[in-house]
Amino acid sequence: MSNSTVIKVEGLSKQYLLNKQAMKKSDTLYGNFIQNLKNIKNLAKRKELTEFWALKDVSFEINQGDRVGIIGRNGAGKSTLLKILSRITPPTHGRIEYSGRMASLLEVGTGFHGDLSGRENIYLNGSILGMSKHEIDRKFDEIVAFSEIETFIDTPVKRYSSGMYVRLAFAVAAHLEPEILIVDEVLAVGDAAFQKKCMGKMEDVSQNHGRTILFVSHQMAAVQNLCNKGIYLKNGQLVEQGLIEQVIPTYLKSGAQSNLQSFEHRTDRTGSGKVKFESFRLLNSQNQEIDHAQSGSDFYIELTINADEEVSNFVASMGIDDDFGTRITHLSNDTTNQINPILPKGKSKVLFKINKLPLSSGIYTFTLFSSSGSEVLDWLQDAGKIDVESGDYYQTGKIAPEGQGKIYLDYSVSIL
Amino acid sequence: MNTDKIIIESNSSSFFSIKELLRYKSLLSNLAKRDFLVRYKQAFAGIAWALFKPLISILVFGYISAKITNSGNSAQSFLFVASAMLLWQLFSNVFNDVSNSIVTNANLFSKVYFPKIIIPISTILVCLVDFLISLIILIVLFIISGQTVHWQIVLAPLFIILTLINGFGIGLYFATINVKYRDVKFIVPVILQFGMYVTPVILPSSYYLERIPEWLHWLFCLNPMVGAIEGFKYCLFGVNSINDITYFTMSILVSFIFLIIGIKYFYKFERNFVDYI
Repeated sequence: MSNSTVIKVEGLSKQYLLNKQAMKKSDTLYGNFIQNLKNIKNLAKRKELTEFWALKDVSFEINQGDRVGIIGRNGAGKSTLLKILSRITPPTHGRIEYSGRMASLLEVGTGFHGDLSGRENIYLNGSILGMSKHEIDRKFDEIVAFSEIETFIDTPVKRYSSGMYVRLAFAVAAHLEPEILIVDEVLAVGDAAFQKKCMGKMEDVSQNHGRTILFVSHQMAAVQNLCNKGIYLKNGQLVEQGLIEQVIPTYLKSGAQSNLQSFEHRTDRTGSGKVKFESFRLLNSQNQEIDHAQSGSDFYIELTINADEEVSNFVASMGIDDDFGTRITHLSNDTTNQINPILPKGKSKVLFKINKLPLSSGIYTFTLFSSSGSEVLDWLQDAGKIDVESGDYYQTGKIAPEGQGKIYLDYSVSIL
Repeated sequence: MNTDKIIIESNSSSFFSIKELLRYKSLLSNLAKRDFLVRYKQAFAGIAWALFKPLISILVFGYISAKITNSGNSAQSFLFVASAMLLWQLFSNVFNDVSNSIVTNANLFSKVYFPKIIIPISTILVCLVDFLISLIILIVLFIISGQTVHWQIVLAPLFIILTLINGFGIGLYFATINVKYRDVKFIVPVILQFGMYVTPVILPSSYYLERIPEWLHWLFCLNPMVGAIEGFKYCLFGVNSINDITYFTMSILVSFIFLIIGIKYFYKFERNFVDYI
């Protein structure tokens, strides 16, 4: 281990036996007894335990002062990795070596008790996170000031608003001063302004004090802002590690092989059926398949359609809904073109290009509709999903606050 | 601070370490403080409940005991029952709370690392505070009955510690099983209910021994609480209703065997608790 390496991970694997935990074993002694009897009866079936590798042979090294973003889809093994690193669960194989004081923040407000006052909870939570009494005494005033709840410090936290609760919890966490800090998705809660304050505090800690941070988030923007290195996990395996600028694009492009989504199985179509939507894929401006779109980047939805005969005056439309099912916008060649095209017989492609995607992060659903004159050709409700990651829409290096609406406008603010 | 190199491996196992425990002493005291503060929050009578609960048992069972043993001095009869009952309730609380402690605090150790043994230890502290408060009853009864205090009373804390060891050892074993099988939550109260009647709590050991065939006396003394209660009574009153010292020693030996089994079993599975909770 060289001097600057603080964490060294070698061949780390974590296996879960799914049947053992989920199905085969019962949660009660009696149930388990009966189950064991059954298992004895058909011994062969006991071999059916399916192994699930949450992590498989992951190795990497982290240097002091690195801010490492761990990215990957749900179930990629990010949280498992953090749990093993923070010694919450043991690995099945492999080895981790680290030096320095480590603190993990896998949840905000671990151990907070509603009946205790804010003051009591600061001490409780602080000590759970690994602070000594002396350390908390010293930082107490700073924590209270950071949380902005001075007046309520002796009120039981169950009387707090949820915002106050989260602020207090964050305030304690933000004042941790370990050499290695492990942070999971926790910044997803709390209001945007406060989140920013916490991110600022974390950046400060890392950059000015040379501390190492491991950070998991689904918000690519947050990862991009905070981290300088990245580790990309997929299905429990390490796909790429390196500078964050290189790792994020790999992640966004991921799943390119299987990204073509077919509508073949859809039987709930409306329309004459002369023309049918067959499949779609999402593309970025380099014509590469992606499975996440990013706010502020050019973005394409490519549809494959099949026409039984030539169709004149062809209209292809798309309605985009947010996660509440509210229609956000409607795209159609009928509104953008002066003359509607003729669609040839056979397979064609329809490309919707969205410049500088003005949607904020979230999951959107789109509905497809095609017509010719007054004839409905094919109508497919909720045809597919678009997963949008937050991105630098305004190209200022800053991100509009999370939870502040669905769309970005091309605007400017001037002081006159 | 801790700047040692830490190595995590699949088969590395931890074991009871005083050094690590000391490093987490502020967590230990904060957890105990939390449990203690929370217990009587929003209760009008507050901490007085730590007195009422044992007091009611003592009144009821003291009365029954006086009737059964036909004791002339009922104040003394109450005193005997009180001393045994308080110790039994300490055992009962420690056993029950320790066996549930790991499951009820799963939200903590599934998010943050710390030596998990801290949880049951902090539980003991809370039970001990309750016990010390309830000792007021004993002191008052001592004064009322005019009982003289013997020199042996200085040894009494040893038997309080023995009681904690009993509850802790057996409790740890059940706490470990509880991680996977929540049946423990229901089994423990049953064991305790039954246990009270085979332990000299309401009636003195002599009452039991007279009614059990001599060759089965050893069975009675396998109960680790027999040694603790008889020892405690001996310290307070200078009387001992188990004449054979080997039985007394045997009971104490069983206490330590349970403690070792409990700790070993706990540490065998401790690292994997999170995966099974």
